[in-house]
Amino acid sequence: MVGYNTTRLNRQMLEYLYDGTFAGLLTAIFHAFRRKEYPDVILRPQGQRLLFATTHTVETDDVMAQRVLNGIERYGGKTTCEQLLHAFLSQSDNVEILILQYARELFFQKRPIMADLGNSFVLQIHKLDRRVLREVQRVLMFIRFERSADGIYFAPFAPKYDVLPLAVGHFKHRFADQQWAIYDTLRDYGFHYHGKRVEQITINAPAFSRDSGKLSVEMEHENEDDYREMWREYFRSIAISERLNPTLQRNFMPKRFWKYLTEKRI
Amino acid sequence: MNLQEKIRILAAAAKYDVSCSSSGSDRANQPGGIGSAAKAGICHSFADDGRCISLLKILYSNHCIYDCAYCVNRRSNDIQRTTFTVKELVDLTIGFYRRNYIEGLFLSSGVINNPDFTMERLVRVARELRQIHRFNGYIHLKTIPGASSRLVKEAALYADRLSVNIEIPSEGNLKMLAPEKDYPSVLSPMSLIKEGIVQYKEERRIYRHTPLFAPAGQSTQLIIGATPDSDRQILSLAGNLYATQNLKRVYYSGYNPTNLYDSRLPAITAPPLKRENRLYQSDWLMRFYHFSVDEIVNDAHPDLDLSVDPKLSYALRNPHIFPIDVNSADHHMLLRIPGVGPKSAKMILAARRFRKLNSHHLRKIGVVMKRAQYFITCHELPTATIQELQPERVRSMLTMDLRKQSLPNAHQLSLW
Repeated sequence: MVGYNTTRLNRQMLEYLYDGTFAGLLTAIFHAFRRKEYPDVILRPQGQRLLFATTHTVETDDVMAQRVLNGIERYGGKTTCEQLLHAFLSQSDNVEILILQYARELFFQKRPIMADLGNSFVLQIHKLDRRVLREVQRVLMFIRFERSADGIYFAPFAPKYDVLPLAVGHFKHRFADQQWAIYDTLRDYGFHYHGKRVEQITINAPAFSRDSGKLSVEMEHENEDDYREMWREYFRSIAISERLNPTLQRNFMPKRFWKYLTEKRI
Repeated sequence: MNLQEKIRILAAAAKYDVSCSSSGSDRANQPGGIGSAAKAGICHSFADDGRCISLLKILYSNHCIYDCAYCVNRRSNDIQRTTFTVKELVDLTIGFYRRNYIEGLFLSSGVINNPDFTMERLVRVARELRQIHRFNGYIHLKTIPGASSRLVKEAALYADRLSVNIEIPSEGNLKMLAPEKDYPSVLSPMSLIKEGIVQYKEERRIYRHTPLFAPAGQSTQLIIGATPDSDRQILSLAGNLYATQNLKRVYYSGYNPTNLYDSRLPAITAPPLKRENRLYQSDWLMRFYHFSVDEIVNDAHPDLDLSVDPKLSYALRNPHIFPIDVNSADHHMLLRIPGVGPKSAKMILAARRFRKLNSHHLRKIGVVMKRAQYFITCHELPTATIQELQPERVRSMLTMDLRKQSLPNAHQLSLW
């Protein structure tokens, strides 16, 4: 009886280490195909290492990554590429293996498998994609700009996933004639639009509070407080007091966003 | 009076208009302009009553020459009155918009002097926003009943959506509560805009630069529970408006007791929220599930069942079409299954081309199996459906569950 499972038990677990970028993951997929092996886990730098495992470290290589991406696009189309990127951004546990599985199935079937929702990993990717897109939508909804003394409209925000790059295009199009900056306080980087292009920025000595996102008073434009108060007044007046429904309000507008909302923060 | 005071009064005066959507238009940003419209609309906040705030919904003025019994701004109501100036309103909209507070402006008004005078003010606000500030965000304008066709047409050139509220679902009752109003004054601007939109679409096919004409269509609102009109009357009217006037939305607003001393109105203390909810569900059935009005309410059932949703109620009344096989039924039939919505119906259609689906797949896809289980067969051993159990049994099983849900704090009575 003891020998029953030995081959399986004796097989060493295989872990891949990559640098945590999407290109890195695509390179890891390339390695898996070239080495004809199937890793049990693909780990980000801060991932939980396995105790007994063979480790293979993946050096990110743009050429390899591009080849995998081309393959995915060839069989699955642009939408599949986007779906996988979004799923990757969710940073959910084991999303790397899920993406590897997806790519393998895609290269095997040589046709789009996006619609095969009876397949568990296709469905999981589908759900992760939607979850991330929802967070993008929330950036569009809940960003609140404050005008600073030098005329820049500034908005700090802390999305659950690293989705700011996906939301920037919307603001660039919409607020094309004003200077604005959006800053991810969790990941400590942001984007600044100065009338022509959007540039990535990092702020070393922030002039805003990390807790409330509020600009310090001397940084604020002089009539910023008027607009803030008018908006809060509007927010109070528009609610129908016979129909108060705080649960519904929280479902649509989770509390984690409140500290950045002009109308909700104290 | 300062601006903040005006906002307090005129926002509160606008709050009973339930329309909030900013969808249906994808106006692009023009070079040098501000703003854009998103096709699906964007909500920017949610008020304490849980309703979305997408547009700056506000009145130009709450002075009104009319005395409609159901309206908070009626002439005889003793409230504080005020009026914006065009400039105040334009600056406020731009200021809020630049801070990403709103998607645009939803402007309505009490009737000052006469309908044309009022409509002219609303149009002027929209014109300044579009032409002076090159504002490309969303604008929803209210058509004032009785305004001249010239002004209505001009409004449609600047606005994304226009709306004119019918308010009371039958003309007799409207006459009783609002003696100065009648259906023709409401319906004629509606037809005018509809014809304009049809014409615009034809011209657009030939000449790409035809100026936009109310690209997001029109909507209206009905007040529920202020008059004894049945759900059948309300839904027939709505169905009719969708079919003949091409309306994008009909909104249903549960009557809020805003007039406590008028004996023509019912003495209620709270708005009929459940009924309003069931009407919206029926509205959705008409717009997204291919249901006709007769299938939802008819002579035998003139009012909606408040204890179950209208689709389940339909299924319980029509057991002969069930069970439906999810692996072979067409889109139309899939949408009739309680617990299957447009999204899951689409996903079922896509997924079943790859493999036959069983209940596990369906649950994962997002079908509400608690309800669907009695109405479907799928790729596994058959279970008891509505055919074996009979409608009464299914109803009691499903409503029992609901009762448990709605009483989370109910605890067993102690015996001693």
